[in-house]
Amino acid sequence: MIPKLEWSALVQAADQLGHREDLPGELVPDYEKNEDFLKKVHRVLLEVEVIEGSLQCPESGREFPISKGIPNMLLNEDEA
Amino acid sequence: MDCDVVNNMNAATRRTKEDKKVLKKQQKASHTLLKHEGISTTPQPTKSLVVANGGLGNGVSREDLFAAVKQFGDVESLLMPPQKPYAFVTYRFEDGARKAHAQLNGQKLQSGENSVTFYLSYVDSAKHREEALVGFPEGLTLVEDFVSLEEEALLLAAVDWSTSNEAQKALKHRRVKHYGFEFRYDNNNVDKDKPLPAGLPDECLRVLQRCLQDGLINVLPDQLTVNQYESGQGIPPHVDTHSAFEDTILSLSLGAKAVMEFRHPDGRAVPVVLPERSLLVMKGESRYLWTHGITPRKFDLVPACEPDVGSNSGLTLSKRGTRTSFTFRKIRYEPCCCAFPSACDSQEGTSPYPSPSPSLPRCHADATLLEEEYVHRVYDAIASHFSRTRHTPWPQVCHFLSSLPPGSVLVDVGCGNGKYLGVNPQLITVGCDRSSALVQICAERGFQVFVSDALSVPLRTASCDACISIAVIHHFSTLKRRLAAVRELVRLLKPGGQALIYVWAYEQEYNKQKSKYLKDHDKQHNEEKSKDTPEESQESHEEPSVFITSHVERDVKDASKMTEGRLSVHTNRTAFNSQDLLVPWHLKGRKTHGEEESSGRFSSRGEPSPDLDSSMSSDTTNSPDSKCSPSDNLSQIPGGSSVPVFHRYYHVFQQGELEQLCTQATGIKVQHSYYDQGNWCVVLQKE
Repeated sequence: MIPKLEWSALVQAADQLGHREDLPGELVPDYEKNEDFLKKVHRVLLEVEVIEGSLQCPESGREFPISKGIPNMLLNEDEA
Repeated sequence: MDCDVVNNMNAATRRTKEDKKVLKKQQKASHTLLKHEGISTTPQPTKSLVVANGGLGNGVSREDLFAAVKQFGDVESLLMPPQKPYAFVTYRFEDGARKAHAQLNGQKLQSGENSVTFYLSYVDSAKHREEALVGFPEGLTLVEDFVSLEEEALLLAAVDWSTSNEAQKALKHRRVKHYGFEFRYDNNNVDKDKPLPAGLPDECLRVLQRCLQDGLINVLPDQLTVNQYESGQGIPPHVDTHSAFEDTILSLSLGAKAVMEFRHPDGRAVPVVLPERSLLVMKGESRYLWTHGITPRKFDLVPACEPDVGSNSGLTLSKRGTRTSFTFRKIRYEPCCCAFPSACDSQEGTSPYPSPSPSLPRCHADATLLEEEYVHRVYDAIASHFSRTRHTPWPQVCHFLSSLPPGSVLVDVGCGNGKYLGVNPQLITVGCDRSSALVQICAERGFQVFVSDALSVPLRTASCDACISIAVIHHFSTLKRRLAAVRELVRLLKPGGQALIYVWAYEQEYNKQKSKYLKDHDKQHNEEKSKDTPEESQESHEEPSVFITSHVERDVKDASKMTEGRLSVHTNRTAFNSQDLLVPWHLKGRKTHGEEESSGRFSSRGEPSPDLDSSMSSDTTNSPDSKCSPSDNLSQIPGGSSVPVFHRYYHVFQQGELEQLCTQATGIKVQHSYYDQGNWCVVLQKE
């Protein structure tokens, strides 16, 4: 799974949520065997859930709300 | 190789990659601007630039934008249309624009709490300066200072309001008075056989003669409606009834200025400032197709000064005064034969939006309106009932999912109630659907889901190993949108990734085998049945006990002819006689027992289903379905309660149509194409 992630985006998201803890900014070499590292990834990926909040587009500033854990990514008619 | 050389090479490659990315985004911004705002950019350098993401709508302040642009040269003007996600900057010399483009394109700006990325493109200087006129409705003309101050006073005095409507006053509606013929607001038409005793006031004659002389009209109008709007009053958007009045409509604004909004069916909105004593001439498209209205407001945003003068051109609040409009029209006696049938009551029936009896959409805006009414609203309303009837994943779809390598990233676009999200737990699965109600159900089941449109899925390009889209694309009402949906799936796929698409088939009988959908039709009556569709006909492996005795064989050509007109309501469990139709759904609440967990088609299991004919063995409602009934209809069941009926729009696919649609999306290969219980299915692979 880890190779499929955009690592820096994950770290930034975790950071912005205040749940980054000690997640490294770069992938450690041989991460598949690093139990400690894998635990950290597991925590961030599967144990942290945004229930209420928002996602903000870094380019346009447009905010997408998250409610009850569900992001609403619908665009308005004039945005699509 | 030498380390430094490698590093430099990498850095150079990175820069070019970055540059390419920026260029791509700039092009995308450019395209969006053109599509939505009618702003066309030009590759050749000019003095003017459009700054995408640099607008008031992005939270960028005038000061911050000015600070960012002024360093490159003398700024002639800075235009920031309100609520828009872009701005225009014109430099005195082209050199300034060039420098700004080179330095600012793709750059981030911090404005207050926001961080935005600018994308700059050149725009035709002359064109953008007349920004107010860009996108001006076709056929619309505004003549300023059409009457003198004395004439204005005379005209205003000519109207005797003493006989005006008490009810109107009480409701704080605008005041209205008619001359020549009475305009009726109940049917938005005129009583042509009952002219009013007094014709038009004499004071108007001079103005009308002037209109004739100036060639604005060819015939003298014979109907006048005077509207008086106080601050805070308005009139809802509308098109003047085609069959009531001839083409050119004149509107004289007296007493105060106001802003009138024109809207095109495709979504374009153009605000037009109507100064005092100006004459608005509506002809052609602006009269027959665009709606016009006045938003009830106390203040309007109007240009502070001429857009091409000085660098402080901007907008200012203009307090509304009491505006009186004199609208002159010519009564039409022959049916209207305009070039805009979608908005024409002589040619197509009632006005286009919202239409009680929908027709196939002709443009993107119509399509979204249709889908909103006949797909999205319906699913949100029927979500829990719908979910209860969608519980068994189809074997062929499961096979596809199970054959994917463990750890594959899968997205289910249009996941509905999440039926397929948990089929293969070894995958990394994410689902999305347009219906919040359905997505909510998925979330409750613990799946990773979000609400999104299938045409605009917020996932990175080439991030998915596989996609499925089961019974989704047939809800898009134009070919363009169906193709766009396929393209979006392809975009999400990694090269080599596969997508599985299922759509409802026009041919419900294939290889001499009727689909379960047809098989469940009661042979005695051509009546309304349960809302079961082929999407769930794979429920069980029981043999259906009822077979249809006759079916309608349809010539394919007939089907396509019908798509031009109104959408007809389909009778469930019969063969399709059209490719575009409305399919009824009878909503059942929780109280009716015995409906879940059953295939729902067979003999009632304790279900209180009022039958017309006691010999019928099928369950659920047998209400006769009236043709062309609007959504939310309450359908009467003999002997009992009424059940809300919803209509869902479908475009059912003919053999080969889905394959053909997929091949139109470039960069893919159709791997497998088959028929599965009333559906056409395709597996495609991204090259």
